[in-house]
Amino acid sequence: MRRNVQAGLLVLCGAAVLRISLFSEVYLRYVKASLRPYLILSGGLLITLGLLGAVAAWTASRKPQETKHEHEHEHEHEHESTNHGHGHDHTSGPRVGWLLAIPAAALLLFPPPALGSYSAEREEAARIAQRVGTFDALPAGDPVDLTLNQFTSRAVYDSGGSMTGRAVRLTGFVTRDPDGTWYATRLQISCCAADSRPIKVAIRDAPAPPPGTWVTITGTWHPKGTPGTDEAWPPTLDATTVKRVPQPESPYENW
Amino acid sequence: MRPDVRGAVRPDVHGEVRPDVRGDVHSDVRSDVRRDRGRHGRDLRRVADGARLAARGLVYVVVGGTALLVIATVASVLGPMFAWDLWGRYGPAVAAWWTVFTAVVVQGVPFLMLGTLVSAAIGAFVPEQVFRRLLPRNQALAVPVAGAAGVVLPGCECASVPVADSLMRRGVAPAAALAFLLSAPAINPVVLVATSIAFPDSPEMVVGRLVASLATAVVMGWLWVRFGSDKWLPPRGRRPAAQTPTSPGDRWGEFRGGVQHDFLHAGGFLVVGSAAAATFNIVVPGSMLAAFTESPWLSVLLLAVLAVLLCVCSEADEFVAASLTGFSPTARLAFMVVGPMVDLKLIALQSGTFGRAFAIRFSAATWVVAVASSVLVGWWLL
Repeated sequence: MRRNVQAGLLVLCGAAVLRISLFSEVYLRYVKASLRPYLILSGGLLITLGLLGAVAAWTASRKPQETKHEHEHEHEHEHESTNHGHGHDHTSGPRVGWLLAIPAAALLLFPPPALGSYSAEREEAARIAQRVGTFDALPAGDPVDLTLNQFTSRAVYDSGGSMTGRAVRLTGFVTRDPDGTWYATRLQISCCAADSRPIKVAIRDAPAPPPGTWVTITGTWHPKGTPGTDEAWPPTLDATTVKRVPQPESPYENW
Repeated sequence: MRPDVRGAVRPDVHGEVRPDVRGDVHSDVRSDVRRDRGRHGRDLRRVADGARLAARGLVYVVVGGTALLVIATVASVLGPMFAWDLWGRYGPAVAAWWTVFTAVVVQGVPFLMLGTLVSAAIGAFVPEQVFRRLLPRNQALAVPVAGAAGVVLPGCECASVPVADSLMRRGVAPAAALAFLLSAPAINPVVLVATSIAFPDSPEMVVGRLVASLATAVVMGWLWVRFGSDKWLPPRGRRPAAQTPTSPGDRWGEFRGGVQHDFLHAGGFLVVGSAAAATFNIVVPGSMLAAFTESPWLSVLLLAVLAVLLCVCSEADEFVAASLTGFSPTARLAFMVVGPMVDLKLIALQSGTFGRAFAIRFSAATWVVAVASSVLVGWWLL
């Protein structure tokens, strides 16, 4: 691989990383939010390195230019001469690096969508492990916005019943069980989409929208079972309103 | 065209009718035939041949064209239906594969960047004597020191491969560099803190992970001292320019060149490994594993294999392990010990950096040692 091609690849990778992290929120489809500064930093570094590499390749190609010229003059009719001329320009660049062009081009042209109901339906819902105890009072707000994770841990592990009587609002996409129960579902990631696990809140008192639709549900917690036991699962919400919404910028929750 | 054609078929010129102009020259040939009676029969036969050929060609065109038309029509109607059916069946899986693949690459990039920066800096700026002075002369002693030094590199396994490579090129004994390679992604503070968050009720899991990972790294280093052969590694000094930086300007140039080379190299293998990881991520759903949780021994081996196949980053695998609630703590410990040391992504990275002969032997041995050490530690602590 020639030096200026290597430099070009670095710029391509850098551009792809910056396109999803600095110029848009697309990176949230793949990795957790806290990785953003590192992505921006790496993208910037890659572009800088690529440009420096291009400059270095350019200056390096100018120096041996004269000798190369003489070479070609001497062996005008020999096939080797062209190979020989190239020999000065490129160091033994790793050819496997070309593979980086695939994800880079994909990210620049058509970034893959976030994982959704397909992945959620294949996996068992994650059961957050936690100690039973009392929780801080819910923040003010009527209804109060909670993540599925917050709702679940309060629904299952809160011995103080901090959600009793409060109107809460949850956002997720619709998944269904064969028995007809439907859930507000989110995928939780801890590092990247490869480790995603679904988290589900069962919704009662409302007809199920089509699977995969994103909805915002307002309702109240439906207490059941003793906190921390199997009977407390799955966390359940009595819905008062169900509203369709577009997919949020940040499709996953954090573990 | 015409004058040429006429000239070509005139019998007194060539005495032959060119087969390639048979259709067009029909009438002209007839007038020529009248002039030269002696060749009449032969020419007539030729004309008939030509006409037959033309007719046959016409039939071929009509029949073949119709057939093609039918095939094209059927294909254009059924093809999309078939493709749509395939897409309906496999489309979501393909889309999910594509997303997971991209996600693994994207999250690997910053760590790879860190790793290549550190390794290129070691290659360009740190003189060889430094490591010789820091590490004990005796290899058997240098191994545990290097293993414990893994604490200082806060990254996942993608970062440690290029660093270990540049350590070797700077004259660090392979055994020590390999111990560092194994321990760095598993025992650094970021990973240990994440582990304690993933297992809030069991701090012994954090201790177990630290002890078992360090033990594996050190044992592997010692095994290398005893049985390892430098023949399995690529010859030292692949990049001779890296060995002797002269002026400060050259060093920066060397640093830049090192980062460029290492990033493209390791990045390419990261792409290979990510494709493998995404494939297994889509093919092996987590819920399928529940069937294997009954036997404790089998479950340890199963999770140890799974760690190799899934290639979860060492900064995330504790959360995956925590979610595998059906498995024994020892099995989950094995998952966390094996994962950062042996997985498809790492094998791809290592065979790129150190050669395939090395990567296969080393990964196989590491896998066995890691499973053994997590079983021992699990039996002792958990």
